[in-house]
Amino acid sequence: MAQRIVVDPITRIEGHLRIEAEIKDGKITEAYSSGTMVRLIEEILKGRDPRDAWAFVGRVCGVCTTVHSMASIRSVEDALGIVIPPNAEMVRNIMFCAQNIHDHVVHFYHLHALDWVDVVSALKADPKKTSEIAQSISNWPKSSPGYFSDLQKRLTKFVESGQLGIFANGYWGHPAYKLPPEINLIGVAHYLEALEWQKEIVKVHAIFGGKNPHPNFLVGGMACSISLDDSSGINAERLAYVQQLLKQAKDFVEQVYIPDLLAVAPYYLDWGAIGGGLGNYLAYGDLPTTAYTDISSYKFPAGAILNKDLSKVHEVNLRDESEIQEFVKHSWYDYAGGDDTGLHPWKGETKLNYTGPKPPFDHLNVEEKYSYLKTPRWKGNAMEVGPLARVLVGYASGKSEYKEVVDSVLKKLNVPAAALFSTLGRTAARGIESILVAQWALEFYDQLIANIKNGDTRMANTEKFKPESWPAAAQGVGHTEAPRGALAHWIVIKDQKIANYQLVVPSTWNASPRDVNGQSSAYEAALKDTPVADINQPVEILRTVHSFDPCLACAVHLYDEEGKHVSKVKVL
Amino acid sequence: MNEPRVLILGIGNYLMGDEGLGVHLINSLSSASLPDGVDLLDGGTAGFQLMEYLERYPKVIMIDATLDAHPVGTIRLIKPKYAADFPKAMSTHEIGLKDLVEGLALLGRMPELYLYVMSVADIANLHVGLSPEVERALPVLRDQVMLKARELLNPAH
Repeated sequence: MAQRIVVDPITRIEGHLRIEAEIKDGKITEAYSSGTMVRLIEEILKGRDPRDAWAFVGRVCGVCTTVHSMASIRSVEDALGIVIPPNAEMVRNIMFCAQNIHDHVVHFYHLHALDWVDVVSALKADPKKTSEIAQSISNWPKSSPGYFSDLQKRLTKFVESGQLGIFANGYWGHPAYKLPPEINLIGVAHYLEALEWQKEIVKVHAIFGGKNPHPNFLVGGMACSISLDDSSGINAERLAYVQQLLKQAKDFVEQVYIPDLLAVAPYYLDWGAIGGGLGNYLAYGDLPTTAYTDISSYKFPAGAILNKDLSKVHEVNLRDESEIQEFVKHSWYDYAGGDDTGLHPWKGETKLNYTGPKPPFDHLNVEEKYSYLKTPRWKGNAMEVGPLARVLVGYASGKSEYKEVVDSVLKKLNVPAAALFSTLGRTAARGIESILVAQWALEFYDQLIANIKNGDTRMANTEKFKPESWPAAAQGVGHTEAPRGALAHWIVIKDQKIANYQLVVPSTWNASPRDVNGQSSAYEAALKDTPVADINQPVEILRTVHSFDPCLACAVHLYDEEGKHVSKVKVL
Repeated sequence: MNEPRVLILGIGNYLMGDEGLGVHLINSLSSASLPDGVDLLDGGTAGFQLMEYLERYPKVIMIDATLDAHPVGTIRLIKPKYAADFPKAMSTHEIGLKDLVEGLALLGRMPELYLYVMSVADIANLHVGLSPEVERALPVLRDQVMLKARELLNPAH
């Protein structure tokens, strides 16, 4: 007999996501993903000055503020034909890299690790053996027996004090946890070290963006001034500090994150055949080495892969109104043209109409509308976005730096390339990407310094900053790659004001409900056939959904009145 | 120069009406003359990114909105020691912040934390301003926060 289980909320950190899964004979037969909040940022932006939109969209989410701001200023620049100076391009790249690495490390240790690492088991580890393992996988200095034994004592004391913290919510002892206690202890140690490290890297945003959280952005460039000998602006000393932070980030990725990933993965190689899902991957691309307008210069190339076919990368055009469209067949919105219509974001409509059951309820009616997320499609195809999509598009594009890192990781784990199309592959791709991004960040830094030394200190193009210089009507699209996937903002400007604004965010691609043709989106497809050993402790569902780095805060808005959540199966 | 001693940290999302009251409070204080040693921070929707500030200041006054059974505008002072002491229904960033607080507790680096929460009714309304009830209650909260800041600066008095 099939059973329906509900996991709600499913995210540990941002956002509100609910998964309903039907399970038969220990396997998921159908899964339904629902965003249970709505944000409607689009409506807030209408009628505002396009140059201010970045500040609003930067508040949509607590994790990816910079990428939203970046997509926003780029959409305005695109609409008005503004080309930004090379320094601004590099500063944006460096901020992008800092955020990408920050997000990936935080995701790995603070959102995803506890799906694989049993923290309670860490209390039983032998510190001496732990130290031996740690030293065998990395040169990271904090690895002495004393270090691990002190940590273990602190953890034990913490648990004994009755304050469980990270120990409180978890399926500890679940048979799906496979790591020896020593690797679990390394995982917990680095959970804490990652927490300390992450506060350093975000300083890059404070330096270039004037403040953090919520750094400043500017249509036409960046809102900072750079001069090597300036005492008030960004000078040689502050730039050297940026370089130091980027180097630390690279060290942390190479000496902590990646060794841990490679130490944990061999115990979970079966997950290289679980959670693959769609097999369609989409990237808009980013990190220009020359200019944003020159797509061929991107470190992250744009493109689409269909049916896991790595021999062909399809071109993607964000302006072609027949390519990207959003559907609301199963979403709590109304379109003027009816439920079977698909709308390109420039023509996008955001009219909310909640028709779901009145809370509290047991199950959503998945035959009808069941999510606050719209359903985006590329040429009618459901697509997965994120680090795996980016890595695959880069790999399939034949870029040698991708090939090198991907092949080395596959070799170390002794798995074929096909293992990438999986839950494990998604988690590994995030690490692979971090290695690349950490290297690129330093390249962009060098490029910035070289440019300044050549006497170019321009940071903004203000030619078309004044609305009087704008055409009566204009439309643009600004894209980037958020840590969790392809992100774009589409803007329509009329009479110097925002007439329409649509965000299609990564989690909308991945977490959306079915489309008009009944096709599942990425989460729903990936969960199909996932084994669930114990329906009361569905850690397997978390593994796959968390492998996408879900963040629904930007896809939908918060509504979290106490007691309104149905938690049939309570999760983290 | 005095070492930084007290941080007034407003958190919340100003895109969601009353949810952003913490940020509105910081904005309203930014033109006021503050005692030496008191700094302001608009924490916005951040979670983990606030760690640097929570470590740098020995005393932190945090301001946020909460959805609970109390009448709108009710002000409460909580002295959370652990993440579990935070109100259940705080705001967008709640879980990130709670995880951060747990991490700080594990690392033994929690500052002396004072959390002022104001009850709000509904954050499903999407707009940028505050409701009249919260608008009215905000100066009261502002006075309480400043009083607390002064008290923390000069514990003897």
